[in-house]
Amino acid sequence: MSLYKYSFWEVLKHSFSAEVWDKVMPAIGETMYMVAVSSVFVLIFGVLLGLILVMTSKEGLVPCKVIHSILGAVINCFRSLPQVIIIIVMLPVARALVGKSYGSNACIISLIASCVPLFARLVESSLLEIDKGKIEAAKAMGSGNMRILFTIMVPETLPSLIRAFTNAVVIVISMTALAGSFGAGGIGYIAVTYGYTRYRHDLLFATIVVLIVIVQAVQLVGDTISKVILKKRHLI
Amino acid sequence: MDEKFIEVSQLHKTFYNKRQRIEVLKGIDLSVQKGEIYGIVGFSGAGKSTLVRCMNRLEEPDSGTVRIGDKEITSLGKAALNEQRRKIGMIFQQFNLFDSMTVAQNIAYPLKLTGVKGREANERVDEMLALVGLTEKKKAYPGELSGGQKQRVGIARALANRPDVLLSDEATSALDPQTTLSVLDLLKEINEKLGLTIILITHELEVIKYACHRMAVMEDGRLLEQGLVKEIFRHPKCETARNFISVYNRFRSEEEQEDVQ
Repeated sequence: MSLYKYSFWEVLKHSFSAEVWDKVMPAIGETMYMVAVSSVFVLIFGVLLGLILVMTSKEGLVPCKVIHSILGAVINCFRSLPQVIIIIVMLPVARALVGKSYGSNACIISLIASCVPLFARLVESSLLEIDKGKIEAAKAMGSGNMRILFTIMVPETLPSLIRAFTNAVVIVISMTALAGSFGAGGIGYIAVTYGYTRYRHDLLFATIVVLIVIVQAVQLVGDTISKVILKKRHLI
Repeated sequence: MDEKFIEVSQLHKTFYNKRQRIEVLKGIDLSVQKGEIYGIVGFSGAGKSTLVRCMNRLEEPDSGTVRIGDKEITSLGKAALNEQRRKIGMIFQQFNLFDSMTVAQNIAYPLKLTGVKGREANERVDEMLALVGLTEKKKAYPGELSGGQKQRVGIARALANRPDVLLSDEATSALDPQTTLSVLDLLKEINEKLGLTIILITHELEVIKYACHRMAVMEDGRLLEQGLVKEIFRHPKCETARNFISVYNRFRSEEEQEDVQ
């Protein structure tokens, strides 16, 4: 149903019809798969790189200018590229890694390339929020660097890290939709192929509804977990 | 009594920033007896905090030595330094408790470093809590505590490994006068009960007068005067000490006048 032929309300009503959702439901599954797998990788590598950034910085526990500047420069390079360009650049990489340059798994490669650097920076800024005095107290007790990192820095900044990860997942979701237009499938693919090229505005509306619901849910879960932790610690 | 339990000699430290170099410690010589409370007073920027932080090498001195007991702190390697730091307690102006842990977990944290585990650790935590009078707050989080209670937890945490020395870096400066008194009373009690040597940094002379046996006056990276608190109050030799004491006396005399009225 197109907005050129039908009224807004008719299109909106039809966007909740069974015919539309038969097409949208499998796409939700694909999107969820891509988001879930990418988010796990983003979490692992983003935290890892973020920790290295903080540890090797000038004020960090094991200052190392070489590692810090090289890693920082690489992250900045990736972050200066718009997501569309990263997707295009990562197509051959995806073909080399998963055998084809289209489909969900290929999309995951570009999602990781784009969102890991972003999340690494978010992790860095969360960890830097820690009160330096706490690190000094641990040092004064004779705690080693790795122990300070994992028993003080990460737990103390956990609520902030969780909020950072929530933001990263929301960005992964929006990028999944973008990757849809490059043959990744999922919600983005429906929006582009039906909503844009075939004027199926009812399907377009359905994808909008789905995306809003997913993002709201993710944000709600992240905010809640973070708040529960802060409440438990009596910090709010 | 061990005359020179802690000995600092010719300690120098210079900080550099983009524009200037600031010589914070200009050759400090200091000795502290075992079992005494030693106060170091000075205006902000005098270098007293840097001095005490050099004693457990939170700050690396440029030259000079620090010896505590039979260990020369300034010549220790990384592992040995961490080992030694477990025997030096430290408390801070901002308490620096770990918000992610309960009071009991905060106190148990240094115990994990020395391998005290299970029931023994639990007993030690209870003992420390009883010592600082916070037994009922065992399962509370630092976020629930008042400033004075937080500093008590800080003290309990610093003492958990039964250190020989306690470094106090402006530990009462963020507290109101009443709480300051109760924390100082606690430090005095610990000093007597455990024979713990305490080095106490402050910019408040009344804190030193109340709690310390001996004191030093510091200004601009140098120790101007050291000796018994009573002696220095009676015959201050340097200008800075006289200044501190005259301010202290003015506060007191005004209080007394108010009392008379």
